[in-house]
Order: sequence, then structure tokens, then C-alpha cells
Amino acid sequence: MEPEKRRTKEDTWKSDELKKHLRVSQSDSQSEDKKQKEKKLQRAIETHDMVDYKGYRHKDQDKDRGKAKERTGERERFKSSERDRDKLKERERGKDHHREQEREKFKDKDQGKDAEKEKHIKRKDKEKESDKERDRKYRRDELKQMLIQNNLKAYGGSDKEQRRRRESKDQLEQANIRDEVKERRHTERKVKEGKKSESKNSLGEFLTKKDEEGGHRHKSHRDQELNKDRGRSHRDKREHEHSVRGGKERPSKERSHELFVKDGEEKYVLRRPKEGSSIEDRERQLSENNEKRQREENERKKRDLKKTEHKKQGKSLREEETSHHHERSATDKGKSIEREKKEDTSQRQHQGEHVSAWKPMQRQKSEEELETSDNYLTNYEDDFEDYVDDFDDDDDEDNDSEARDSEERLREIPVSKKSEIEEIQRAINAENERIGTLLPKQIQKEHEKEPNMERQDSPARGSLCGMFMDFETANQRQSNRNMASKQKKRSSELLRLIDLDFSVSFSLLDLPPVNEYDMYIRNFGKTNTKQAYVQSNEDNLERDVQTDEIETLEKWTQHPGDSILVSGGPRSSNDVSIDIAVTPKIDSQRLTNFLRSACQVIAVLLEEDRVATQPRWNLRSRQTSLSISDSCFQLNTNLPFLHGRKVSCLHVSQVQRQALLSVHGLPEKPGAIQLDRKYIVCVWNVWQPSSPQKVLVCEAEVSCCCFSPSKATLVFAGTMDGSLVVWDLREDSRMHHCIKLNETDWIFRAPTFSTDGVLSSLNHTYPVLAIEPVSTSVYKEQNYGLSHLSSQEEMSGLSFQIASMDENGTLNLWVAVELQKVDLAGSQSDLGLIPGGKVKLVHSSTVQLNSSLFPKDILCLRTPQTLNIKFLPSNPNHFIVGTDIGVVSHGARHDLRVPPKLFKPQQGGPRPIRANAVDFSPFGKPIFLVGCSDGSIRLHQMTSEHPLIQWNDSTNGQPVIALQWALTRPAVFFVLDASSCVYIWDLLENDLCPVAKQIIQSDKVMTMVVLGEPEKTNGLLGIALAKQSGIIDIQYVKKRWALPQSEESEKLLLLLQQSL
Amino acid sequence: MGEPLGQPSLENSYSLRPAFQHKFRSSAVKECIHAILKENLANVQYNPEETPGLTQSLSETIKDRLKAEGFHRYKMVVQVVIGEQRGEGVNMAARCFWDADTDNYAQDVFINDSLFCVVAAFGCFYY
Repeated sequence: MEPEKRRTKEDTWKSDELKKHLRVSQSDSQSEDKKQKEKKLQRAIETHDMVDYKGYRHKDQDKDRGKAKERTGERERFKSSERDRDKLKERERGKDHHREQEREKFKDKDQGKDAEKEKHIKRKDKEKESDKERDRKYRRDELKQMLIQNNLKAYGGSDKEQRRRRESKDQLEQANIRDEVKERRHTERKVKEGKKSESKNSLGEFLTKKDEEGGHRHKSHRDQELNKDRGRSHRDKREHEHSVRGGKERPSKERSHELFVKDGEEKYVLRRPKEGSSIEDRERQLSENNEKRQREENERKKRDLKKTEHKKQGKSLREEETSHHHERSATDKGKSIEREKKEDTSQRQHQGEHVSAWKPMQRQKSEEELETSDNYLTNYEDDFEDYVDDFDDDDDEDNDSEARDSEERLREIPVSKKSEIEEIQRAINAENERIGTLLPKQIQKEHEKEPNMERQDSPARGSLCGMFMDFETANQRQSNRNMASKQKKRSSELLRLIDLDFSVSFSLLDLPPVNEYDMYIRNFGKTNTKQAYVQSNEDNLERDVQTDEIETLEKWTQHPGDSILVSGGPRSSNDVSIDIAVTPKIDSQRLTNFLRSACQVIAVLLEEDRVATQPRWNLRSRQTSLSISDSCFQLNTNLPFLHGRKVSCLHVSQVQRQALLSVHGLPEKPGAIQLDRKYIVCVWNVWQPSSPQKVLVCEAEVSCCCFSPSKATLVFAGTMDGSLVVWDLREDSRMHHCIKLNETDWIFRAPTFSTDGVLSSLNHTYPVLAIEPVSTSVYKEQNYGLSHLSSQEEMSGLSFQIASMDENGTLNLWVAVELQKVDLAGSQSDLGLIPGGKVKLVHSSTVQLNSSLFPKDILCLRTPQTLNIKFLPSNPNHFIVGTDIGVVSHGARHDLRVPPKLFKPQQGGPRPIRANAVDFSPFGKPIFLVGCSDGSIRLHQMTSEHPLIQWNDSTNGQPVIALQWALTRPAVFFVLDASSCVYIWDLLENDLCPVAKQIIQSDKVMTMVVLGEPEKTNGLLGIALAKQSGIIDIQYVKKRWALPQSEESEKLLLLLQQSL
Repeated sequence: MGEPLGQPSLENSYSLRPAFQHKFRSSAVKECIHAILKENLANVQYNPEETPGLTQSLSETIKDRLKAEGFHRYKMVVQVVIGEQRGEGVNMAARCFWDADTDNYAQDVFINDSLFCVVAAFGCFYY
């Protein structure tokens, strides 16, 4: 085998396989042939040596057993170790040769058999009518012969050879194959024995007879065949010598044949019992149905023959090598099979009943035989070994001896064995068929490779002879054995030098399972992309603040606002409108101030124009104008709320000479108007006589009134109730009651402050007769330069005093306080204050004039009534009080004792004469006039108790009501008596009597007041006359009494000094 | 092996080690295998019917190529496994009983979209 490996390895494998197969088939065929041969030979021997078969038999059996023991031991040795192969190989070579020779012989025998069969059949036909008994006898004889033959077989060289060959095969084949072979052998043996014992009588008979006859008949044919075989064997030998391959093929062929045989034999074993059962009756039935069967079977034979030939040719090319044998054997087989069938059918037909009874028995027998088969096997082997030993010597002279042996053996083939051979051949056929069906592929494969070999071998194969094949296989085996031993030696030597070890296990591949994500990406994602991020809105954050941003804006402001701008800063567009609104507001304050003053001026101008243009006014003024006056006009008292009211009092502001107060009493007949129960004070502007500036109302009867000293903004009034009332003319008109009369709105102002019921302990308990402002300009005379300033201070003015005097001689001094804060809801502490009012009176001091001013002698008679009070203009601390006893007392606020205490008339003591009017000279001279109710007028100076000049009866005994110095001339004064006669005195012109006298007859003049502006030199000097009818006439006196003259005060001083 | 019969002169001259230049070099063999795999499997899709033939042809090709490489006195065993790649895990391992001094193996893996191919080549030294 090893030389084969040097070729390409594919070839080695296939060829090896092939060879094995081939060898098997060949050997099988050979073995089969050999068996047949053996049997025939045995039979032939039996026929010759039938006489002493019993003795032989015993001997043989003993011999066999003894040998068997030895050989089994040997065989075991073979199996365990193949060291002894070399010997065997050499032997085998010889055996192979021998086998081949034998095979040739068998073939010849087969051919002979064929002829014999034919003869036998014919003979059968002839002997149809022959007696059954005779047949039976004959068969019994045959049986005996068979038994003898079997015994002889053990002795026979052919049998030994067969066994020997089997053994050699065992060495090559595997254990299982060996077992099969054993079985096969066993079955073969059984067959033989069965035949021996029972059934082969008839067949044996036939065969022997045939042998005897056919041997001669077909001799010529056999010789021909022999010659052929010889030629073939020569060629084979040559082949064997030159090519080892040819030799190798043979054993494989044998093996395959063996396989076939095995199956065939098994079948045979199954069939045998039937045969056995039928054997006894076979003769009778045979004779009966012979003819019929013969005819049918002839036809069948032909058919089968064709079939088998076809099959062989189509199926196995392996068998082509042995085609010659096969063809021949095939024909034989065909015949034998037919025969067998014939027998079987006949048995079945005629002995159906017996079969059932016989079968179990036969089975038992076969089982027993199986048990004993092992013994037989060993025996065979022993025999075979012996046989091989015998043949070892013949190796060299194979050609000649083989030829001879074959001839001899051919002759020796017993006719009785023919049936057995036929059986085997039939089995082979069946086997072939089966293999054809089972292994078509294998065969086909082999077909493919076969042609090469065929081409090489076909010429040789055509005449291939079995004898040379044996040599080759033997050679092969020997070489194999040599090789194996050599390898073994080599390996044993090498293994000492080499260390074989288990290597670490190598990881060839570690492919981890793909995870789901990768799988997903691979299937659905784009290739070569990888997901790096997940899109979620986690980073999409929003932040929000709910509070608004604080808006800031820079602004500045300054507290006492110097100018219009009191605040400022960068303006946003929104603030523009506000600032625009603010700006006019600031202007409006100035505007109101402006308008307030300007309005008055304009109004006055307009009124003057109207007066000038209106003739009625002129006309009327002419009519009413007096002799002493240049012009006159009336204040328009023709107003609804002034109807029927008589004017009780007039007052002119000392600072603002045009401002005039007129006090109107209750109307005679009460009207429908609400104001009827109230007393009214009207504030007039002389230059605007058409309507009063303000209308003031009071619940109580107003007895006297005056303006605030510095500015005519406040009006003070004393009432008959003993209370003092203050009106603030600056108050907003909305604070007061408004009544619409004759399509004109009149605002009637309620008093801002009233002491009525508030300061009860300090209030006057008598009617207030006089109220005088006490100016703070005490030092006016002393420092003229500052007079302006002090007046200004009073204007802004907070503090000036009001002196009020009731008729009981109580002098109260009040401080007028202007409140900074206005409380529209009304004050809690100042109960007399009107809500929203700003001015109130605070009680300062109280002087009781009666106790202090008058001496005790006067006072003890009766308490003098004080009528009026005047403060010295140059020194407000000094005041003079007119009384009803004809004297004027002199008082001072701080030091009570001031000389002269009393100013008395020239003659007499105190008498009940009312000094109705006293008036200081407005030119700063300490002189004053006193008008008395007896009609006398006195001129006093402050330093003397008695008057400088006293004029009695100047008014014809009429009481003097009013007396007042002219404001523009220091030596002129006006006197009004009770008979409504006005007198004008000019002391420089005439110091004994008045220079002019004017009687007003139309209406009784209630009171008189002098108007004029001493600061101006326009010569306007007027007198306001309040008449009983309520008319207020203003008469401007003529220029000669009005216009001041040069050095008038000096002249007056001279005059006065002269009069002293 | 394979020495013809009856040459006693060679009987005891065993070469226990391969010549250095003839030694089975794993890296070289791997390159060989890789080249062949790359050439033959570049654009092959797995097909269960064609794969057996492919493995056979591959193994033959590789074996022949390795023989041509000139690893004298080496017996080559080439195993080719082709499997479909469907995401399953695969683990292959080998273990040898041999003389680690002389014998060696080389393996290479080819992985495709549809298949994986594992080739293992074992070289056994004949003493």
C-alpha cells in the first residue's frame, strides 16, 4: 500500500478503496469457486474410496480437532501481533498461485457440470416411468456416498486449501468481515451436512452419473478451455511479476465475491428446511411432474440467463475482470437455479401438508448445527493450514503442476455437488441483483474510475487467470507486512526521540453574537453610521422672570423754588405732557396775581370812562352836587339786597384810601330774600362805584368796623352783641354762599372768625362801640425811613393788634393770627373759625378804662360811658377815649399814668356832654379835635389839659355827629351836625367860624367820612355822605379847600402858638 | 514516509527537525490563506447550496498553494468552514496532539456581510 501513497493523494485513497473492493469480490468468487471445486473433488474422491470411509472419518475427526487447537493458538498470535506476517506472506504467495490454479480447474469443472446437468435432465426424462422405490433406494445410496464424501473432504487438498485461504484473508480483512466469513463457512457447512444427512441423495446420484457420463462427453471442450486458461495463467504470471498492482486487485475482487456468496448462502439456509422436508417425497413427485416442469423450466432458464448476463454487464464492471468465469458460472447458475426452483415448486405442490410439520424440527437442527459450527470452523482452518504447508513447496513449479492439477481436479469434481453449486450460483445472482439496486452510486463512482484501469488491464483481463492473482496479493500482503513492520520499527525508534504533547487549544474563531442594537442598525440604519446622540429636548431650557424691570429716571428738585423751574431732569416722552401742564400752573399763579390787580385797574378805567361818557351821571351829579364840591357821585347802593337798609357806619382804610366800608342795617320791611335778617357790610372801591367789591354778611348788628392796618384784606367788625367778627377778603368765593339776584351772582361772605360765644370770659359784655387797628408802626414817626419796611412786614403780616372797646370802658386787645394751614373740615380747637378759614383772633390783653383813666371824683358820681377811642398815630401806645361827660381821657397801653390825664373843655367841670367825635391830625402833630353833642368844637394838644381853641355855637347848638381833619391840608377839617349841615373849617383863612356851610336838605345825612389821598397832589379830597335813604354820596370839595398851600403847617403852628 | 521497500541505507537517518527555511511559518501561511480568501470570497454571498463546493475548492486551493510554498516533509491539513452570518455567536477551537517543536498551524478568518469563513491549516512534520 505504501508505494501507492507516493502518488497523488486523491488517487491513493480512491485506488485503495477500489482495490479493497476488488479484492473482496475476487476472493469471494474464488472462494466460491473453490468451494464448489472442493465439494466436487470430495465427491469424486468419495466415489473412488467409498469402501473405507468409516475408518477415515473417525481418524479425520480426531485429527481435525487436534489440529484445530494448535491453529487457533496460532491464529490468535497472528491477530495480536503481526510480527509473523512475513512468514505468512511468503506462504501466501504460494497459496495464491495454488488458488489460481484451482480456480481454473473449477471453471473447467463448471463447464463439465453444465454438460452433466443437461445429461441429467435428459435422463430424468427418460426415467420418468421408472419405479419410485428404485429411486428411493438409489437416493439412499447416494446419501451414504455424500456422507463419505464429506469425511473425505477434510482429507481432500481442495478443502484444506479453501480453509487456508480463508485464514489468510482473515489476516487482511477486518474483524467483522472475519465473523461474517465464519458465519458463511458455518452455513456452508450446514448445507453440506444437511445434504449429507438427508437431501443430497438424489442430487448426488444424478451428479455421479452425470460425472461419469459428462466427463467423457465434454472432454474435448474442457481441453480447449484448459488451454485457454493456461495461456491466461502465463500472462497473469507475467503481469504479476511486472506490476504489483494487478496482483493487488485480485484480493479485492475475491472479497467482493465473498460478500455475494454470503448473501446467497444465507438465502440458501432459509430455503433449506423446505428442501429437507421435501426430500423424502421428492422422488415420487419428481417422477410425476417431471415432464411438465422440464418444459417450463427450459423457457425460464433461457430468460434468466439473459437477465443475469444483462445485469452483470450493466452493473458491475468489476466483474468484467472475471467475466469469463462469470459467464460460464452464470450459465451454470442459471441452470442450477432452475433446477432448484423445480424442486422447490414440486415439493411445495405435493408436500404442502408436510412442510408445516417439518419446519420446526429443521430449525432446531439448524440451531444445533450453529452451536457446533465453531468447532468445525477451527477444524477447517487447521486442515487449511496443513494444506498450505503442503503447497509451499509447489510455488516454483506452478505452471506445469497447476495444469495437471486442474485437469485432475476437473475430473474429480463430483456430479453430486452440482446442485450445491447451482444453489450458490443462484445466490450469487440474487446478490448481484441486490447490490445492483442497493449500491448504484458506489458502482457508478467506480465506473468513472474504472475505465482507466480497464484500458490498462483489459487486454490482460480478457484472458485473466486466477492463479497469478493469488501471487500478487500474497506479494502485496508481504510488502504490506514489511512496510508495517518497518514503520513500527521506525516509530518505536522515533518515539524515543520525539515528545508528542497536547498543544494548547487554539481558538480559531470567536465571533460574539451581535447584539440587538447592532442588528437593528445593520438592517435599518445606514451603513457606516453610528448613533452618537439621542435627540431629546432636555437641553432646550427656557428661563423667565415675572417681575418687571424697575424703571429709573433721574430728577432733581429744589425746595424753595427760586424760579419757575423747581424740578427737572432728563424727561422721557411720557412726562412731557405733565411738564407742559405744570408750567402753565406756575404761570397761572402769577397770572392770577397779575389779573387780580390788573382787573381792578381795568375795571376802574372802564367805569371812569362810562361815567365820563354817560350824561345821566353828569346830569345827576350836577343836580346833587353841592356848593362846596366840584363834583360828586353816588355809590350804587341800588342793589336788591341793599334796598331799604340805612347805612349806619362808613369807614375808609387808612392805607388804601379808595377802599370804603359801608355798614347797612336791617331793612325796614323784610323782603323775600334770605339776607333780610342779616346785617350787610359792603366793601367798596371808590373808583368803581357801580357795585361793591365784596358783600359781607353778619348775624349781629354791626356797630363799628375797620380794615386791617397795613392792607385792606381783612375786615374787622364789632357788634352790638359784644362780639368781634373778622372777614378775610382773600378767601375763595366758593367757600361762601352765592345767590343769583337779577341775573348777577352775588357772593355773600360769612365771617371768617367770630368771637361770639367762643371766648366768653374774655368777650365784651357790652356793645362794642369802637374798634381800631393798632398798627405796629409805633416808631413810624421816629424813623421814617423804616416805615415802608414795617408796613411791608405787616403786609406779610402776621401780627398786628386790634383794639375793641365796649361802652362800659373795657378795652380788649386782640392779635390777628393768620393760620398757615387750612383745614377745610373745620378746626377742633378754634371753634369760631369758618371751615377753610385762615385768620383768627387771639385775645391779647384787656384794659379797664374806667378804673384807670378817670379820677375818683368823676367816678364817684357815676361811671362815665366811653364812646370812642383813637390811638395817637405817631405813638400807638397813647390813646384818647371820648366819653359822655364832656372830657376826653388820655391813656397808654403800657404805662398807665400819662399827663394830662383828662382833656377838659375851657370852662366848667365835667358835665353830661357826649364827645361824639375825636380825631387826631393826620400830619403827625399831637393835636386833636373833639366834637361834642352841645355843638362845641375843641382843639386840644396832647400836652395840655385844656384846649387850644374852643368854638362854641358854630353849629347853632346842633350836636356834632362827625368831625374829621382833611387829609390833604393840615388846617382844614370837616364837621357834620345833626341837621345834616356840613361845615368846612380853614383855620388859616378864618379861625373863628367855618369858611363854608352846606346844608343837605333832601335826605338826612347819617354819617360822613373824608376821602383823600395825602400822598398825591392832585387835590382830590372828597367826603362820603351816608344818607338815611341808604344812598352814599361822594362829594369832591372845591380845589381851594383841597389843594395844599405852602407852609401851611407852620402857619398852623404859629396860629396855635398865638392862640396859647 | 513512503520510503520504498528495502533501502537499509536510509533506515536510521531520521531528520527530526525541518530545515529552517522549510519550517512551517505561521505568518507566511496566514498571508497565503488571507490572499486566497480575499480573492475568492470578496463578493460572495452565502448560499447554502454552493457553500459545500466552495469549501472544497477553497481547501484544495489552499492546500495546493501551501504545497507550492515548499514546506518539505510536511503533511498539510486544511480545514475550511463557511457559515452564514446572521448575528449568532460562533466559537471554534482546535486542539492538537503533536510535536510542538516542528508542527504548527495557521488560521485566518474572513468575514463578509453574509458569511464568515474560517480556515485552519495544520502542518505536521514527517520525521
